Amino acid sequence: MQNNFSIDDLVNDLTPVKPMNINKGLALPAVIVTAFAALFISQLGLRSDLAAGNPAPLILMRGGILLLLGFATAHAVVHMAQPSVGKGNQGWIWAVGAALLFPVSALIVAISAISSDMPVTVNTGWYCLKMCLAASAATAIPMVLWLRKGAPTSLERAGWLTGLAAGGLGAFAYSFHCPFTKVMDISVWYTAAIVTSSIVGRLIVPRLIRW
Amino acid sequence: MIANEETLKNLMVRAQKGDKQSYSVLLEQTGRWLGRYFSNKIASDAIDDLIQETLISLHRKRDSFDPTRAYLPWIAAIARYRWVDKLRQTYKHQAGTLDFDIAEEGHEDVVGAKISIDRLLTMLPEKQAEVIKLVKVEGYSIAETSDKTGQSESLVKVNVHRGLKKLATMIESE
Repeated sequence: MQNNFSIDDLVNDLTPVKPMNINKGLALPAVIVTAFAALFISQLGLRSDLAAGNPAPLILMRGGILLLLGFATAHAVVHMAQPSVGKGNQGWIWAVGAALLFPVSALIVAISAISSDMPVTVNTGWYCLKMCLAASAATAIPMVLWLRKGAPTSLERAGWLTGLAAGGLGAFAYSFHCPFTKVMDISVWYTAAIVTSSIVGRLIVPRLIRW
Repeated sequence: MIANEETLKNLMVRAQKGDKQSYSVLLEQTGRWLGRYFSNKIASDAIDDLIQETLISLHRKRDSFDPTRAYLPWIAAIARYRWVDKLRQTYKHQAGTLDFDIAEEGHEDVVGAKISIDRLLTMLPEKQAEVIKLVKVEGYSIAETSDKTGQSESLVKVNVHRGLKKLATMIESE
């Protein structure tokens, strides 16, 4: 038995608290993503097709999928801070399924060796990867702080999902500048950014949110 | 007698607003509820520690309770998390003192089968659940558990490790 435990101490220590609010938990990551998108546009420039008001369909699809992936997983992360037995929140799985569209497309392109989509652009790709990861790291911070405040019960899953959400949202912010037009480039480098972010999340986040 | 879900939820909502009298009743009632919840799921000499740790977690994480949702599934998630954490610690006690499968009378009425620890364990593969009960709950050695189950000692260790890891991912499952 813990010697220093007393219900009276807990009662005396009681102060009013505001219940955690899901919208509040999503607001800060949304602000950071918006700020990074604005930063990329102001410092690196908006994609020319977006600037001309005539975006390529592939780019719209990329943006939509990244936003869907990022939002669905961030929503799951924020929910994880408020545990409850029987509370299902599996919507993110469908978003991940949708996001797999790109790597699967890349695989098909690679196998069929469509010449116009090969090879992968390396230099711009590394730059894209770095920018995506920088935005992802910043986006992950409020989610980690939110989880630390709450009571997540599955720490490893919280780590994976935080990395996945941050990766998707960070890539979405960078996509406003990203000059790629080929499915192979988009698939390889964006997938690399999201997978890297997820792995880093899995490795680091559980240690930060243990309670 | 332990207060029902509705009463406990109302007490928790008032506690979040800073009502100390309601909080005192809530902690006392939750402590009793936890005593039943953990009954036969860990050595009797470890139950008090586990209840206290869970109540401290309740206190520290009280803003994670969503007043639009039920109270018992919330405290059950916290209790399961603390229970798995306790099992993962290198915890030993005298073996053979528990009858794991026999729940205290009235337990199911109060807790609800869906949020119980028994329910959580049924989600594990049988061999993993069996060795976790023997080694981590009832305190048998690896060698004794190997003799009782017919699993090799290395397999017992692997199954305990894998089972606890899996339990940690299923805390909120029902």
